[in-house]
Amino acid sequence: MQKLHEGKLPTKDKPVREFIPDTVCILMGMHLGAPSKPCVEKGEYVKLGQLIGEPVGALGLPVHASVSGEVLDVSLKQQMVAEPAMCVTIKNDYKDEWADNLKGLGDVETVDPSLIVPAIKAAGICGMGGACFPTHIKFAMREGQYCDTIILNGAECETYLTSDHRLMLENPERIVNGLRAAMRAMGVERGVIAVEDNKPDAIESMKKAAEGRLGVEVAALKTKYPQGAEKQIIESITNRQVPRQGLPIDAHVIVLNVGTAAAISDAVSFGRPVVSRITTVTGCVKSPDNLRLRIGTSFHDAIEACGGYSETPGKLAAGGSMTGICVASDEVSMTKATNGIVVYNLEDAKSFDEGLCIRCGRCANVCPTGLRPYLMKPYCDANDLAKAEKYDVMDCIVCGSCSFICPARLWLTASFKNTKEKILLERKRRSGK
Amino acid sequence: MSLRLSTAPHIRSIETTKRLMADVIIALMPAALIGIYYFGPNAALLVGLSAFTAVLTEYLWQKAAKKPVCIGDLSALVTGLLLGLNLPPTAPWWLAVFGSFLAIALVKQLFGGLGHNFMNPALTSRAILLASWPVRMTSFVMPTYFAPVEAVASATPLGGLPASTLELFLGTIPGTIGEVCKAAILLGLLYLLIRGTVYPHVPTIFLFVTALLGWALGTNGGFTFDGDPLAAILSGGVMFGAVFMATDYATSPMTKKGQVIFAAGCGLILSVIRAYSKLPEGATYAILLMNIATPLIDKYIKPTVYGSQKAVKGVKANA
Repeated sequence: MQKLHEGKLPTKDKPVREFIPDTVCILMGMHLGAPSKPCVEKGEYVKLGQLIGEPVGALGLPVHASVSGEVLDVSLKQQMVAEPAMCVTIKNDYKDEWADNLKGLGDVETVDPSLIVPAIKAAGICGMGGACFPTHIKFAMREGQYCDTIILNGAECETYLTSDHRLMLENPERIVNGLRAAMRAMGVERGVIAVEDNKPDAIESMKKAAEGRLGVEVAALKTKYPQGAEKQIIESITNRQVPRQGLPIDAHVIVLNVGTAAAISDAVSFGRPVVSRITTVTGCVKSPDNLRLRIGTSFHDAIEACGGYSETPGKLAAGGSMTGICVASDEVSMTKATNGIVVYNLEDAKSFDEGLCIRCGRCANVCPTGLRPYLMKPYCDANDLAKAEKYDVMDCIVCGSCSFICPARLWLTASFKNTKEKILLERKRRSGK
Repeated sequence: MSLRLSTAPHIRSIETTKRLMADVIIALMPAALIGIYYFGPNAALLVGLSAFTAVLTEYLWQKAAKKPVCIGDLSALVTGLLLGLNLPPTAPWWLAVFGSFLAIALVKQLFGGLGHNFMNPALTSRAILLASWPVRMTSFVMPTYFAPVEAVASATPLGGLPASTLELFLGTIPGTIGEVCKAAILLGLLYLLIRGTVYPHVPTIFLFVTALLGWALGTNGGFTFDGDPLAAILSGGVMFGAVFMATDYATSPMTKKGQVIFAAGCGLILSVIRAYSKLPEGATYAILLMNIATPLIDKYIKPTVYGSQKAVKGVKANA
């Protein structure tokens, strides 16, 4: 693990500002799992929070209207993912009238625990730290599994992002309520809100909110990338490791992002689905800011809301600079997982050639998983999947640490990500036979 | 608007191969300048020729092999400087040229170039020169300080010349151009540590083991525990080797644990050579032998993968 240049200064002290766009284009396949099926038609009037996409399959999630107004279009559009994807476009009438059928369950401390997980599913909540994994699935236990600790991830170890930081400062009680709801749903007695120690104000704010709440504690983590990676935060808090190829639940832990917890609180107390989230818009924009954006706001609108580009953009990514995903144009819309929009100028976007490995060992030294990237890379590049797997490429968490530090500028992480996908595909193909 | 697409990470550390090599060159400067000041124009000629030949050889080799020319990464310059500083100040000019050519062509490029050589190029070349021209490679003189007196051939402290600790430290003793002034070498080390170019444990452990065994093995190798630990690390090429040779990335282990074993092995072999062999100095061979052991160390000393059985067992107990 290593210290990074954080790049959080431009936005860390900026209070969250609401921005509501003229139109939203809501992607049906935001979450991990099959895309939802649109259940509204062109020309139909929808209210805020109204169901517009029905869940499909085991990992399905409902999708809701993030503004009220007329449905302009239900069609395939080019989004963040490679292929055009089904989207519902809504023209905002700025009435922001909530749908009628949204009913809260009341106080998180008194609500019937068995109703909490269904409420989470109905609200379309998925991991808001970036992975967008359907949250209710995390609460589904198989035979022999149990959970004794819920960790709220407020580490925000990624560069540039301050959305979780602002949420912890401005809405700490929603986070704690969400945590308590999750704890009660699972019958868990220990809930830990984990924050990196570069955010002392957030730690203070969370401590205040957690005061007098049953089983809730706040933990300060060392500021080191990737402290907020799921497996790393579990080890930091519980001193347990998730077995290889295992899930957090195998270490008896559920990890939720602080944003996810806030969404759980809204879902349980008010029955409100996820219609907005905080996104840090930063980099080469005129006034970097933390915006509360409606789901489906286009990158373009969000950047315009921050004064527009300050330089010719060379690269645009959703998420911080260690794990952010590039988008091909600013017409794409943000999703429930878009915690940041970072604009890079032409200089920063420049490509470069790989040099020669000088065997300095820095990659192995920083790898949080204890891998040897220098050893994996040649096999990955040679497409020798068996050897790459032998040298543990499947354990790579794609955090970007090795690529970042490599003095020869090797594309290590890219190579591993690629190889992991190939191996998964190969496994799928073989099991299909 | 055309946007570039790439896989994360979108930022990279400021450290590049070139910057690391430049740092080593800067760190070598105190030792080089003092060496030239002590030993005069021939020392300057040797270091300069050696550095020039190394870069030229790399350039010509890569041109001939139709490979991209990488002299800009400064690694050849580092090798050339290291070899030059490892020559005795009385060596003839062609020794520097030939040694430098060997280092780049034979030891580095023949094995695949930067990062692929399994032995330190400068050190291997020095060993070859030592075996081929043993007299020329061990003709040491007292530093002349540009004095007009004719240089007088002299033994080194390891060869029996009496010298005080201060003389050893300041380098007013016979030896190779770069190795004599320990103060200058330590200044270079300090710079490398501040820049984070090398990890402190390699030179520290190398020197510590050398001092410990120097003390334990004593003057005649009989475990008399009466040796002078300071003299052990201030004599010969051990300080230069520990700071600039043992820390070479390509020829030392990749993991910190492996590097500890590597450094301790260097100190051990060096001390054994000093105490039990006819050779006066063993830094070169000690480091080269550990260079050869590096692939083996890397094979068996590997980091524990997160969540592997070994790591998980311990935590299940308290879960």
